Amino acid sequence: MSSHLIIGQYVPGHSVIHRLDPRAKLLIVFVYVLIVFWANNIPTYALLSLFAVVFAALSRIPFSFIARGLKPILWVILFTLLLHLFMTKEGDVIYRIGALSVYEGGIKQGLFISLRFLLLVLMTTMLTLTTTPIEVTDGVESLLGPLKKMRVPVHELALMMAISLRFIPTLMEETEKIMKAQAARGVDFSGGRFSERMKAIVSLLVPLFISSFKRADELATAMEARGYRGGEGRTKFRQLSWKAADTAFLAAVALLAVLLFLLRS
Amino acid sequence: MNWTMPFFCLLFIGRICNAATQGETIMAEPILSIEGVSFRYPNQSDYAVQNVSFIAERGEWLAIVGHNGSGKSTIARMLIGLLRPERGAIRLFGCLLDDTTVWEVRRRVGMVFQNPDNQFVGATVEDDIAFALENNGIPRAEMVERIREAIRQVHMEPFLHHEPHRLSGGQKQRVAIAGILALRPDMIILDEATSMLDPRGREEVLETVRRLNCQQRITVLSITHDLEEAAKADRIIVMNKGEVMAEGAPEHIFRLGSKLERIGLDLPFAVKMGSRLREQGIPLRAGYFTTEELVEELWTLYSKK
Ligand SMILES: Nc1ncnc2c1ncn2[C@@H]1O[C@H](COP(=O)(O)OP(=O)(O)OP(=O)(O)O)[C@@H](O)[C@H]1O
Ligand SMILES: [Mg+2]
Repeated sequence: MSSHLIIGQYVPGHSVIHRLDPRAKLLIVFVYVLIVFWANNIPTYALLSLFAVVFAALSRIPFSFIARGLKPILWVILFTLLLHLFMTKEGDVIYRIGALSVYEGGIKQGLFISLRFLLLVLMTTMLTLTTTPIEVTDGVESLLGPLKKMRVPVHELALMMAISLRFIPTLMEETEKIMKAQAARGVDFSGGRFSERMKAIVSLLVPLFISSFKRADELATAMEARGYRGGEGRTKFRQLSWKAADTAFLAAVALLAVLLFLLRS
Repeated sequence: MNWTMPFFCLLFIGRICNAATQGETIMAEPILSIEGVSFRYPNQSDYAVQNVSFIAERGEWLAIVGHNGSGKSTIARMLIGLLRPERGAIRLFGCLLDDTTVWEVRRRVGMVFQNPDNQFVGATVEDDIAFALENNGIPRAEMVERIREAIRQVHMEPFLHHEPHRLSGGQKQRVAIAGILALRPDMIILDEATSMLDPRGREEVLETVRRLNCQQRITVLSITHDLEEAAKADRIIVMNKGEVMAEGAPEHIFRLGSKLERIGLDLPFAVKMGSRLREQGIPLRAGYFTTEELVEELWTLYSKK
């Protein structure tokens, strides 16, 4: 249960992709997600797939990990495929089952859209598989830095995110502890009717909330005691370093965008 | 007002304080003095702390003991400016604690809280130690140096990149101490910092603090329920219902005996044993605090016969 719940299924490694600056990875994935929607013919989809496959291969993450990340959306893809297969009425009729007929355009459209989905999820999964959540936070904070001028509390948001990430395991431990304590008092979490289950969940949530508030209060006090007074005048320990590889990968995705723009029909 | 203003004020005040103390440097000046401090929580009629005064000398180990709700934590919070006294004055390093000095005080006085989990801010040990350094605007190159030094002082080098959930309670508390040490503090306040730890974790933490107290002359203010732990302090302050009930060296305090038990404190086993033995007419010298010391006394007494 615990490995499933942790946001970001980071797989430790030292590949080129792992070592990319989180800002570069965020930008690459962001651009990729945008240009996926340009593709509309075989050459463009082929290029996009090639990029994603090379990217995944360079990460040296075992295929099984990637597949596990893709599994939850398999049904969505299948559903989209079927929907397009029967709903799009373009081109020649290929096959007929009773009142339903499958057109050539339907097959093409269905495959394209499913592939688009698959590529989107693949690339975002690659980001979470090769980047620790705290690196993602650092990257987001740095990329959103310019927004500080517009009084967007970027530092505070990033700190909030970092602290939430740090407390996930703590709160999961706590949840387990409360569940055991309530089970010892006769609460049944595994079975029973719907209303009984709801009651069981309330008996878990109430103590969890109360203790979380207490934690938050104590943490705020501890932070203040350690001299925290907002983002101003603060230095940063975690540092991001932009390397040649980052520029190269960013150039690659830019090239991909240009090619896609030229080849789309 | 710009946020740097307090710093300038501080520098200025620092000068004056230094100048003022220059003449009497030979006399041991208390690092901390509280004079007639009272405090009430908002919307409360009773005082949580009432007319409390005491001092701490540089390099001293001072213990504050008292029953639940006797105002110990409230005092600790006032010392680093988390709460503001209603009456009275707090002086640290010769300067009055107020809005202009509070940040400097928080740099020089570190506090370890009771719950090891709820004071761990960073994603990993090194991030957590860096937190206070970041807050104080220490340049990154120096941070790395200071983190290495601090982690070595608490003997946690192998855990530098560990996440908090992979550490024991005692280890987390030692990380908290390292976070304080990185700021090169003059004083550490432990607010029941060992009460949630198992005996081994407790001993590790106390050993670490004891070493810092001896070697670096860092003043320690230890708030505890555990009289056994307090027995090792240089001086003990006993709190009762927000007031100071007694103050003095451990042997002096333990002579109060049943008076301490009446306000809800549990005397160490060796102290209780010692007084029982004396009642039975065994000629023990006064004041035994640890079990080892009692055993030592008993066998030497036996072999003298
Ligand atoms: N946030 C608060 N609001 C109102 N009253 C409070 C608050 N915190 C503490 N008090 C009250 O102030 C008094 C002193 O509390 P304090 O926490 O200083 O005691 P303590 O000696 O640290 O006790 P313990 O040994 O349980 O930690 C208590 O009567 C308590 O109920
Ligand atoms: Mg307390």
